[in-house]
Amino acid sequence: MNVRWLLPLVAAPVAQVAYAAQYMTIEQAQRAAFPDANAFAAIALDKAASGVPAAPPGWSPKVWQARAGERSLGWLLVDQVIGKSELITYAVAIDSRGALISVEVLEYRESHGGEIRLAGWRKQFVGKTAADAVELNKDIRNISGATLSCRHVTEGVQRLLLAGREILRRDGSEIPAHGNG
Amino acid sequence: MATVESADPVTPKRARCDAGHAIFRRARPLLGTLVEVRCEGVDSARAARACDAAFGEVAAIHRLMSFHEAGSDLDALHRACPGTPVRVDARTRDVLALAIRIASVSDGSFDPTVAAQQVAWGFLPRPASPWSPDPRADWRDIHLVGSDRVCLSRPLWIDLGGIAKGFAVDRAVEILLQAGAVQVCVNAGGDLRIAGERAELVFLHAHAGSDAGAVIELANAAVAGSSGSGSRRRIGSHLFGPHVHGKSRAPVSTQARVSVVAPTCIVADALTKVVLSGDDANSSRVLERFGAQGCIHDAGSKLLLLGVVA
Repeated sequence: MNVRWLLPLVAAPVAQVAYAAQYMTIEQAQRAAFPDANAFAAIALDKAASGVPAAPPGWSPKVWQARAGERSLGWLLVDQVIGKSELITYAVAIDSRGALISVEVLEYRESHGGEIRLAGWRKQFVGKTAADAVELNKDIRNISGATLSCRHVTEGVQRLLLAGREILRRDGSEIPAHGNG
Repeated sequence: MATVESADPVTPKRARCDAGHAIFRRARPLLGTLVEVRCEGVDSARAARACDAAFGEVAAIHRLMSFHEAGSDLDALHRACPGTPVRVDARTRDVLALAIRIASVSDGSFDPTVAAQQVAWGFLPRPASPWSPDPRADWRDIHLVGSDRVCLSRPLWIDLGGIAKGFAVDRAVEILLQAGAVQVCVNAGGDLRIAGERAELVFLHAHAGSDAGAVIELANAAVAGSSGSGSRRRIGSHLFGPHVHGKSRAPVSTQARVSVVAPTCIVADALTKVVLSGDDANSSRVLERFGAQGCIHDAGSKLLLLGVVA
């Protein structure tokens, strides 16, 4: 174990503490959930008919149907939730019977900035060990103490599962005749 | 009072990963938070499989050690008649063994049986247990029997919430290293572990919603944080946080936020509860026993380091 403490004299506010990370693209999420698919067709989710209760205003998940030839393998639904200060984009994959395959976070970002950088506030740190060996402009990827909430994601996943059930009821596992993909 | 000290300075090294092996990051909602894994040094197909396995292990640990979910090992223990050995998963046994050891070394400041108070104060739901906890019961009433059974000698409720998350992080890190990754970070809502030769920077938030904090540079180490301020409840005329002093069974201060650095995340996670209990001399002794260091951010965002060797 190696540890070095780089401490400010007092815990002074840092100019821009925010965090952003992209984990997967939509395409990567599609391939990961449906490795056997040879096409992903965008599907319009009819909100009025979706029958999803407690959907927030402006709720409009993107939906793709995974296909292998003429066969439907399932759907990938991509949605965003907004927490106190964070925006989380996530993907839910369900199979052709409506069962959950996976939940993946695609992107996480604090709604007010980019990643933490040391440059602007390194002068707050004292002691000879603080500034000289620290790589300036090096991103701080790791944050401890700011517990990221997943309550909104959990609620969002429930909504997407209901939406998936509606799509299944509407289209069955057939390729829709008028898919707009 | 803030002090600046340097312990065992480390030189940041370049990761020994091939240029073709990009950084691979994934995140999923697990353990009531977002769990992020990052690995370097393996190709993306192998990294994807390893991340799937790591997330699967985290989910399995959650199911085994959940306080209130039916079918967990703790559920089985809470339903069993005291004195009856109950078969548990090897991982649950390992976590209980370390919990008992930390309770012993900390003279009970950390005690996994404080769930009785957490239920009474409304921080945990009442488990499906036919018993109410014996007020005299503590960690000494948890007995490991053979290699796969646990026996409670008094009616009590065990909560591993203060330790299982760290264990899940450690297991995920081990899976990623076994898959060949050379630089790994697993972060479960702020409890994180970094493995690999390259030192990484970690920002320690002083308080939720605040931009104040400290920065540490870590290589092959874990850090965990605890604070009660975000979830206080008013009971009578007092504000109670979710953390309970293992010995006095009184609520610990909700003003401080603590961070602990340790070789493993399970130890870091558990020792945050020792440091939060407020006896700094005892905390320093316990931190030293486990090769750990701690940092207390008080309400005024002043910093105090514990167990840091100059």
